[in-house]
Amino acid sequence: MNSLMVILFLLIGAYLVAVLESWLTNGRLHFMAPAWSALSLLGSESVVPRKPDRLFFETAPVLLLMAALLAAAVLPLGPTGGIADLATGALFINAALAYVLVALLMAGWGPNGAYGLVGGWRFLGQTIAYSMLIVMPLTGVAMRAESLLNTDIVLSQQVVWNVIYQPLGFALFFIASLAVSFLPPFDLPTAKGDLAGGVEAEYTGPRRGVFRLARMVLVVSLATATTVFYLGGWLGPVLPPWAWSAIKILVVASAMLLTGHFLPRIREADLLAWCWKLGIPLALLNLLVVGIVILI
Amino acid sequence: MTLLSLQTLFIAFFGVAGVAFGVAVFRTASMMRSALALLFSQTALGAMFLAMQAEFLGVLQIMMMATEMSIMAIFMVMFMMDPGGLGEMEMTHQKRLSIFAGIAGALATAGIALFTEWGAVSATAPDAALQVRELGTELLGRSMLIFETAGVTILTAMIAATAVAMPALARKKPA
Amino acid sequence: MSPDLMIALLTGAALFGIGIYGALSQTNLVMIMMGVELMLAGALVNLVAFWRFLHPDSYAGQMFVLIVMTVMALEMAVGFGVAIARFRAKGSVEMEEAQALKG
Repeated sequence: MNSLMVILFLLIGAYLVAVLESWLTNGRLHFMAPAWSALSLLGSESVVPRKPDRLFFETAPVLLLMAALLAAAVLPLGPTGGIADLATGALFINAALAYVLVALLMAGWGPNGAYGLVGGWRFLGQTIAYSMLIVMPLTGVAMRAESLLNTDIVLSQQVVWNVIYQPLGFALFFIASLAVSFLPPFDLPTAKGDLAGGVEAEYTGPRRGVFRLARMVLVVSLATATTVFYLGGWLGPVLPPWAWSAIKILVVASAMLLTGHFLPRIREADLLAWCWKLGIPLALLNLLVVGIVILI
Repeated sequence: MTLLSLQTLFIAFFGVAGVAFGVAVFRTASMMRSALALLFSQTALGAMFLAMQAEFLGVLQIMMMATEMSIMAIFMVMFMMDPGGLGEMEMTHQKRLSIFAGIAGALATAGIALFTEWGAVSATAPDAALQVRELGTELLGRSMLIFETAGVTILTAMIAATAVAMPALARKKPA
Repeated sequence: MSPDLMIALLTGAALFGIGIYGALSQTNLVMIMMGVELMLAGALVNLVAFWRFLHPDSYAGQMFVLIVMTVMALEMAVGFGVAIARFRAKGSVEMEEAQALKG
């Protein structure tokens, strides 16, 4: 029962994020836009490229969807926990997000096309950049909660949210989650102008529908992760817990989609330089500061 | 015949999956498939660790091996002549020696595994949350020296790998 | 003799054998490294099985696993650094062409 509620919540969240994205792209709020585009994708012709690596071509969108769902499965939306409240939940999210990389590599290699290939390998460059930035802030969060259990992490924020306690960690985690879900400004793998659609280009018809759905679920999972780790999850005064979760997730998802709207696309070489030269020292500084504040 | 518990079933399933993917690494001609088969073999082993209730180690294995094997994939594409595997190329040498050595190694370790008296087998393992806490205490308490040495070794290896991989600097000629 | 322990140890043995085959039979450095990774993975499976079934209360086993995982990552990093250097110098990382020191 709990699992069904969580999955339903995720799908509704993914739908609302798709509505937000179409609002940002087209300028008009049209609630049925994702439903119509999903129907049109299901009906459109599925063009398979010449000589694809069939195994990878078919597996990639499904693996992306599974990775996003696994990441969301350990995140608690209410006091009863998520689908599976693992004792190492905070680490499991990173394990699941690592398969986003594998899925995009498969999606780049599978269709046997140049642009997709370049897009896939560029995402590997991005991964090396964001990997540290997505793990180290979580160490700071776990230090405060003294546990890797996600419910404990939310409960440790009853006094003050982590976004106030560890603002540097929040900023780094936010940037890293933009990079994981290849949203603009880190959307080089599916760059519309640069790579003619990149990784997403060679998928048509239902497979593209699955790819888009997987990406929306990934954005929702990352927004949920941000609220659980930094914004206090379901904690709040008046409304029921799931309502607070929903509000916070939608606010974070809108912020994620809006941020890239005003920034130019960042090359993975520049991202690597920035993350390794500036991001990791800042993450270590964050750990130091959090450690000192906890001990005082 | 002991009753096959769910744990045994999962361990067997993931073990067979790990070995099957491991065999696939060397049977396929496509380099990318080889690298990703190794990735899924390591993932199956990580799931096996989870089935053996070593939760932290399982999650760590799954996380680390995904990124490591993807990096191995890009190095394969960089360094190998036929990454797609569509040309027929001979990629092996000293076949008989290596098959013999492989079978000998596997039989030796399997023989030791089957014929040693391992002692009493414990039926329960600590709870996962307790394990994480105890592992942390062990890591920063009794095994602090090992932890620090590993940290310094990682730093050394990072510097060494970067230094080896950088292109040679152009030497300035004396004026 | 617990069936769980046996299955895990036999899996470790099989992975070790496949790893030896790979490390000895392949001509390319990257494939050899894959063989080494398989061997180390077999050792890891054995270590976790020993921890779980023989000494679940002592965490030295888990420490050992962490160190072996670290070594796997490091050996891959340095190995790929060497591969890059070799590729720059000679244009290939094939073992058959690396016999300049032989004889």
